[in-house]
Amino acid sequence: MSENTKFFILLALLIASIALLVYLNDGANQLLLKH
Amino acid sequence: MKIKQHITLHRVNNVLFALIILINVYIIAAPILPRVTFWWDSHHTARRSQLTQLIHQAPSSQPAPRSNSLIIPAMMLNSPTLEGPESNWFNLLKAGIWRWPDSSTPDKGGNTVFLAHRFSYTGPHGAFYYLDKLKPGDEIGVIWNNKTYTYKVASSREVPPTETSIEDNTTDARLTLFTCTPLWNPKDRLVVVAELEKQS
Repeated sequence: MSENTKFFILLALLIASIALLVYLNDGANQLLLKH
Repeated sequence: MKIKQHITLHRVNNVLFALIILINVYIIAAPILPRVTFWWDSHHTARRSQLTQLIHQAPSSQPAPRSNSLIIPAMMLNSPTLEGPESNWFNLLKAGIWRWPDSSTPDKGGNTVFLAHRFSYTGPHGAFYYLDKLKPGDEIGVIWNNKTYTYKVASSREVPPTETSIEDNTTDARLTLFTCTPLWNPKDRLVVVAELEKQS
């Protein structure tokens, strides 16, 4: 696998990880706030 | 030139990989972090005994005036209590521990009701995160108008949100603390009732 392909895969994984982190820190709390 | 670019990209990829690993390790460890933090604070710091001392200090040795607050050594909690109307419940609960406005106050006897969120194990919107740690016999101190009221936990139970009798006034002097439970699907209320032991 070329370094370019690796870069795009890792970038996508990083974005997905950050999105999950933000969801767990804020999104889940927002869900809880509805109760 | 091409080799140099390749080496740079390889380094960037290594950094990205490390970041992904770090974020995901944090995500996996996040659910146990509150327990680890609580365990560490209980066993390796003097915070619990300091809070117990704070409850038993003679009022004359304490700086006055003191803000109304709740001190619970078993929860590592020392937090001011808030007053406000029911119409402002959302902001009050976001800011910390709120005394239910229709309930009594410690100086009047009856049932004093405090409620708070447990959205996070740190910060004011998670003041009652560790409410489930309270067991019968644990001490609770309430600083109210510069006097200290000491309570002992009598019971801890879960009730549905429809059971509003927990907020009713009582003939005996007691403290009712409640929050949502369970943590991630808060459909019920966790209620801790404590009886007045002494005031100083």
